[in-house]
Amino acid sequence: MLPQVKSEPYPWPFDGRWSPADTALMIIDMQVDFCKPGGYVDAMGLGVELTGAPIMPTRRVLEAARTYGLHIIHTREGHRPDLADLNPNKRWRSARTGAEIGQPGPCGRILTRGEPGWEIVPELTPLPGEPVIDKPGKGAFYATDLDQILHRLGIRNLIFTGVTTDCCVHTTMRDANDRGYECMLLSDCCAATEVANHEAVLTFTQMGHGLFGTVAPSEALLDVLEKQSVPA
Amino acid sequence: MATYVPGLYPWPFDGDLSPRNTALIAIDMQVDFCGPDGWLDQRGLDIANTRRAIAPLQRVMAAMRAAGYPVLHTREGHRPDLSDLPENKRWRSRQAGLGIGDEGRLGRVLTRGEPGWEIIPEVAPLPGETVIDKSGKGSFYATDLDQILRSKGIRNLVITGVTTDCCVQSTMRDANDRGYECLLLEDCCGAAEHANHLAQIHMLTLAGGHYGSISTADALIETLAMMEAA
Repeated sequence: MLPQVKSEPYPWPFDGRWSPADTALMIIDMQVDFCKPGGYVDAMGLGVELTGAPIMPTRRVLEAARTYGLHIIHTREGHRPDLADLNPNKRWRSARTGAEIGQPGPCGRILTRGEPGWEIVPELTPLPGEPVIDKPGKGAFYATDLDQILHRLGIRNLIFTGVTTDCCVHTTMRDANDRGYECMLLSDCCAATEVANHEAVLTFTQMGHGLFGTVAPSEALLDVLEKQSVPA
Repeated sequence: MATYVPGLYPWPFDGDLSPRNTALIAIDMQVDFCGPDGWLDQRGLDIANTRRAIAPLQRVMAAMRAAGYPVLHTREGHRPDLSDLPENKRWRSRQAGLGIGDEGRLGRVLTRGEPGWEIIPEVAPLPGETVIDKSGKGSFYATDLDQILRSKGIRNLVITGVTTDCCVQSTMRDANDRGYECLLLEDCCGAAEHANHLAQIHMLTLAGGHYGSISTADALIETLAMMEAA
């Protein structure tokens, strides 16, 4: 058992029950398409200054999670090359932004599995044995095996990082919360394409004594982990 | 003939709008969220913020029923034995005193069968309309909503109800991932804090609409009237 993490609106997890064995670090969609120049977000004209910022703080958390033996789960948003899993309205909307999913861009076909833009950024590349969840939607539970994997690994606590805060991170956190997982969002390890949207999600999360869980800076988690002895 | 409701983008994206493929869903219009002496009211929150949805929603319901569109309702609530209530949800709800399952002014909070859990009379379901009972914020998880929509051939969803940033938003996100073409009627929704309602609406406008379009009760009603006249 580890000490609770200082987070808002309550020390996390709510019942103090957490250990590396029952906790996963979730790294959502830290892909070239979302946080590097030439990717999908960049192609929409939004720039990657904001969405690239969580890379280094998340890397620090990832290294600590590996050292202390937390489970680590990565997700990637992307579609099959034949686009059989791409909803027609999702495709239509992306075309209206000038960055149609499946069409060629500077980093290969946009949000298409196997393309350079779809890859996880090199700073956070998954190690062998770390599950990677490929998803066609914003949420990581729908049309994936995430729930099955969490159940099988005995995980009940989830720590959220990644992009974008208001889109895929929060959709997944909402769905995790409905499924009973105890969730915490690391504020500096997430980003949105607009600062106001990032901030609004942090506010929603903490409403009603934690409608969806809690929010903490990554330092708060590292403070707890780094006081532990490193497992052999 | 293609028909569109004006809004964030002309909806539905392909103009295929009819009572055969489109439904209205009214989320959690329950006494506990928008009625006097309900849970929000007992916690001292201003229910004017959630009740703003009632009058526009009544007009939309009447128009959609008259034009033959299916109307669905959802209710958030737990089994009386609370076997479907995650421990952390119960713990959090009790931090302010009156928690889920506890006895309040209108019976046990958010508990199925209690007066506070009922849908408010202004927008009550008619006999034959589908009501989805859910234990979470989203209406798809641990319910038969997806199965019912698919068996009815529904592809477009007109989304209304409370609260904008919580159950309405979770349901819209999950519907969108499942391929439903969603339209949120801004004036038929409300949040416990109006600033959160506005922040949520702003978030939905990103990239021209990541989760669907946004419009108003009047815009939808006018479109239905035009279809009727055509």
